[in-house]
Amino acid sequence: MATATATQPPVHHHQEEQDQSRGQAIGGWLKGQYALYILVALLLVATITRGSVFWGATNLTNLLLQMSIIGVVVLAELIVVLTGGIDISVGSALGLAAVVAAGLFGGPSVLLALVVALVIGGIVGAINGWLVAFRGLEPFIVTLGMLALARGLVYAYGNGIPINPGAAASFAELGQATFIGIPVLAIIWLAMVALVAFLLYRTVWGRRVYAIGSNVEAARSSGIPVKATLWSVYILAGLLVGLGGWMFLARFASGTSTAGNLLELEAIAAVVIGGARLAGGYGKVFGAVVGTIIFAVIANLLSLLNVSTFLQDAFRGALILVAVSLATVQFSRKRKMDSTQPAAK
Amino acid sequence: MATLLREDSSSSPSTREVAFTAVGVKKHYPGVKALDGVDLEGYAGSVLGVCGANGAGKSTFAKLLAGVDTLTDGEITIAGFDHPVRNAAEAEQAGVLMMHQEPLIIDDFTVGENVWLYKLREGRDIRPWAQKVDTNSAETRKVLQGVGLGHLSTRQLARDLGPGQRQMLSLSRAAVTHHKIMILDETTASTSEEHFNDILELVAREKAAGTSIIFVSHRLNEVFAMCDRIAVLRNGRLIKVLDAADSNPDEVTTLMIGQALKALERPAPIQNASGQVPVMSVHDLYGGTARGVSFDVSPGEILGLYGLVGSGRSSVARTITGQRPAVSGSIKLHGKDISLPTPGSGVSKGIAYLTEDRRLEGFVKDFDNGENMSLVVLPKMSSGGVVKSAVEKKRVRELIGEYQVKGGTGTYTRTLSGGNQQKVVVAKWLETDPEFVVLDEPTKGIDVGARANIYEIIHSLAARGKAVLVVSSEAEELLSLCHRILVMRNGQVVDEFDPEVASTDDLIRTALSTQD
Repeated sequence: MATATATQPPVHHHQEEQDQSRGQAIGGWLKGQYALYILVALLLVATITRGSVFWGATNLTNLLLQMSIIGVVVLAELIVVLTGGIDISVGSALGLAAVVAAGLFGGPSVLLALVVALVIGGIVGAINGWLVAFRGLEPFIVTLGMLALARGLVYAYGNGIPINPGAAASFAELGQATFIGIPVLAIIWLAMVALVAFLLYRTVWGRRVYAIGSNVEAARSSGIPVKATLWSVYILAGLLVGLGGWMFLARFASGTSTAGNLLELEAIAAVVIGGARLAGGYGKVFGAVVGTIIFAVIANLLSLLNVSTFLQDAFRGALILVAVSLATVQFSRKRKMDSTQPAAK
Repeated sequence: MATLLREDSSSSPSTREVAFTAVGVKKHYPGVKALDGVDLEGYAGSVLGVCGANGAGKSTFAKLLAGVDTLTDGEITIAGFDHPVRNAAEAEQAGVLMMHQEPLIIDDFTVGENVWLYKLREGRDIRPWAQKVDTNSAETRKVLQGVGLGHLSTRQLARDLGPGQRQMLSLSRAAVTHHKIMILDETTASTSEEHFNDILELVAREKAAGTSIIFVSHRLNEVFAMCDRIAVLRNGRLIKVLDAADSNPDEVTTLMIGQALKALERPAPIQNASGQVPVMSVHDLYGGTARGVSFDVSPGEILGLYGLVGSGRSSVARTITGQRPAVSGSIKLHGKDISLPTPGSGVSKGIAYLTEDRRLEGFVKDFDNGENMSLVVLPKMSSGGVVKSAVEKKRVRELIGEYQVKGGTGTYTRTLSGGNQQKVVVAKWLETDPEFVVLDEPTKGIDVGARANIYEIIHSLAARGKAVLVVSSEAEELLSLCHRILVMRNGQVVDEFDPEVASTDDLIRTALSTQD
């Protein structure tokens, strides 16, 4: 704030207004965080029903490991959704990256697997992005095709049998490894959260992503390279998904043909629960992270409560419906507030 | 429908039968009091003009009356409806017909189907085999003739119509709906002068049928041609209701802006114009509807481009700024051939294009003023792709002050009035320090006060040696603003005028001639 030139009266005036409304802004921000409330409610339920087990170190580590992989995929989904697109191929792409990384050259090293997984993810993203950005195809249809294609390749590559990499032991070690008590996979996820937040909020690229999602005509007219930016978004999303595939290998030390199955549903739901607008142009990294945690907690809680695996899927689906309904309540409330709230100053 | 021939109406204007009453109407948006206690009455068979600068609250009033928006306080009662109107459905039941600024047309329906659009949801008859309205009947033809669209086929798709024709098509629905109150919200904004007579005739018919008409506009000559009474709003308050017969545009303008408007100054003559290489030189340009257009713009010159809708004026503007690719022809910047395949290539060469469609192309709707103003120049405010937010914040604050934009850097641009939105767009582009600026309809939907601001900015641009091209469908605007005016017709430049000697009449005649 100190950087504003105090010599210009109108400028100074706005500065004061902004300072004044900061308290209100925090209150207003809290009001909009429906995802956070869902999370708090879930944690309360967890504490009451299975408190001692839930908050135990083993379970929390497990929880963090669970959310790390999907967390990275949610970030990929978020940046695509911000442009007004959607990527339903993330689950299949993750599976493909995982099995190829495990099987190529026999999976001799963890680092080589990382490179392979990133390349596979990047290629899938680049194909998706090229078709969407330069061929003008619908993201839904493009990634629907990719979903089937990648999953088919996954089955074909391993003939339906799990592929165990040669360096399975080092993978397992990595999956178990912790740094000051936090699983390394979770640290990787958090690093990616920081990276994506930085890219979206602090770079020209991030501003362009929001501009394209909100109003592609205005972005184009303002000289923003719309196609190249869109392409880069899908490529980055692909790389993140590839990283997710590698993390999957680290966690399970095996490339199963069902790796990442139906992950796209959770990723999209987490993004939407986090408050992002599917039409693009609006959405926050923080919300996506909260969405991720909600899904991990609910899965964890249902296991702790001994709910059958089949019913767990139903619960997850129900949660998506509830959360999305809440999100629409939030939007209409906002609209109402816009039109009825008297002048604040 | 019977409403088509409603000349048997018994009400005469002299009886001043009240059609609607607004008492103490208030409408507050966060940070803005759009309307702050307005009392207004409308009479059957009479036309009420609602005038005001942008942000005065005139469109808000229209929206409240039509029930599209809800009041913060106050009451609007409509004669013959037993309680105050609370929403759009009730307003419609009460007989309010709203004609929006953007015509509600379904592109994939035929002209005839668009006329009868309201029939689609009338009644509760959802039987799939229920008989449809014949959208190609003689009656439909008659309705279309009533709004000057008699030459159109009812089977033609609405997407092929020009903007003026779309507006008239939407107006044609007045003849097929039951209504007692008709609101024309800036309805003439997208129509050219040629359609105004049709609107006048329509309004005259409606008046005779006893409809109370509200005409929201800031085109004062049209307001005076159409209205019986004129209500002037300023900053959300009703300033005065005048009898159109006893008033004049100057008086209304003064009331609208609260002070006498100083006459627009002619631009300063171009400094040593001869012998300089033109900033922009276009030769035999084809693209869009432009066919073989050639012209030069010198440093410090403001060139006007006049033409009717569809004459190719916007095609020229978009082609020479890279908004659409040229088909053939040469574009020279400072004497050097350039190609402009994308808008980005125009930006990088110092060419700015201020669009005529602000909402669609001018600004990003989820961005605040600051983000919109820095959108184009953001790379310059960053290092290695990372935005220097302190630099950005400081600069946009300065810009807000410099261009006197209402609201701060954190206000969403979409919530501002048209004039303030345009200032944001102007700031965004001039921040790129362009050599050549193209303004497409720079004052469309902008009130007199903000207009003067925009004109001043254009003059100062020219005074700093920049080349400016102003595209407009308002002859008067170009005559007072430009050094030279080109008139386009059928995609070609047909004539050139010196604004010192030319008149509005000359321009319109040239633009219209040999067109039917």
